[in-house]
Amino acid sequence: MHEYSLAHALLEGLTEHLGRHPVQGRVKAVHIRKGELLILSEEALAEAWRILTEGTPVAGSELRIEKVPVQIRCPACGYEGPARYVSDEGWHFTVPVLACPRCGGRTEVVAGRDLAIVGLTVDEGGPPGGEGAPPVPPG
Amino acid sequence: MHDIRVGTEDVFKRQIELASRNFALFKEHGVRAFNVMGAIGSGKTLLILRLAERLKEKGLRVGAIAGDVAGDDDYQKFVAAGLVAANLNTGDDCHLDAHRVGHALESFPLGDVDVLFIENVGNLVCPADFPLGTEGDLVVISVTEGDDMVRKHPKMFAQTDVLAVNKVDLASFVGVDPMVLVDDYRRLNPHGAIALTDARSGRGVDELLTALGL
Repeated sequence: MHEYSLAHALLEGLTEHLGRHPVQGRVKAVHIRKGELLILSEEALAEAWRILTEGTPVAGSELRIEKVPVQIRCPACGYEGPARYVSDEGWHFTVPVLACPRCGGRTEVVAGRDLAIVGLTVDEGGPPGGEGAPPVPPG
Repeated sequence: MHDIRVGTEDVFKRQIELASRNFALFKEHGVRAFNVMGAIGSGKTLLILRLAERLKEKGLRVGAIAGDVAGDDDYQKFVAAGLVAANLNTGDDCHLDAHRVGHALESFPLGDVDVLFIENVGNLVCPADFPLGTEGDLVVISVTEGDDMVRKHPKMFAQTDVLAVNKVDLASFVGVDPMVLVDDYRRLNPHGAIALTDARSGRGVDELLTALGL
């Protein structure tokens, strides 16, 4: 439900970055990391990106999403690593359990709530602005 | 064609910083704050009112922030019950966030309350991604929503501290076994505390207080 505001925040971060570090050519893809605990629809995020980037220098770029698995830390026994997962065919999902897989203790989430841009794929041969850029009005 | 490494700031970093600021503010004033989430009509407001009654009997001062898209209906209920209250309209947003709550706290008399309930916007999905800086989360499900509510929202329930299964008095009328919700929750969240409540009659409210550590 909040994919648009998050896509907007990603675009703001990218715009700021490109202001400081301009790239030559067309941005074909924007690579992001998305924590698996976030309740975000990847389809909606990609669609929000497509719409919000229209008319911007990264118009037409594809959002490529890398899922970041949950990492937890147990203050009780010192475990740090991946979580145990609960899955059920009937449930159609696999969800990390945030209890310690070693001692059962309550854990802290170290990773899995991330949302940030990590890279760009740039086509040096393409014009900046991309296919999705608005046409220049005549006159 | 080539790839460039870019490291933009995490979109949630600012939210987490603001939540930490709220958390510190609650600690500074000795306020125990809870984020109350749940679907529209699950009974969050009435449950908060019932919890407040019990807490007042224990000599504690209770505050509530009513988070809603629009209107002040819940806020008026809190005021009528004598709670220290604030109204927090999100405009169109489907969830509260630490930024909005931080602004509400600027004018909230935290020195006048011992326990603060922040009632989130009625929504079982989005609020889970936005920490407010509270010490605990309470999610309310009413049995009338169906016995599949936990498994339909697995990430929400895997991350929250306390579950209240509300309106248990209606369970037989809607053909729902509350224990299905309880069992699903236990699988996803072995540490989560659970209370079966009927806010209308006050049943289970003491168990919920215990589950919240109050």
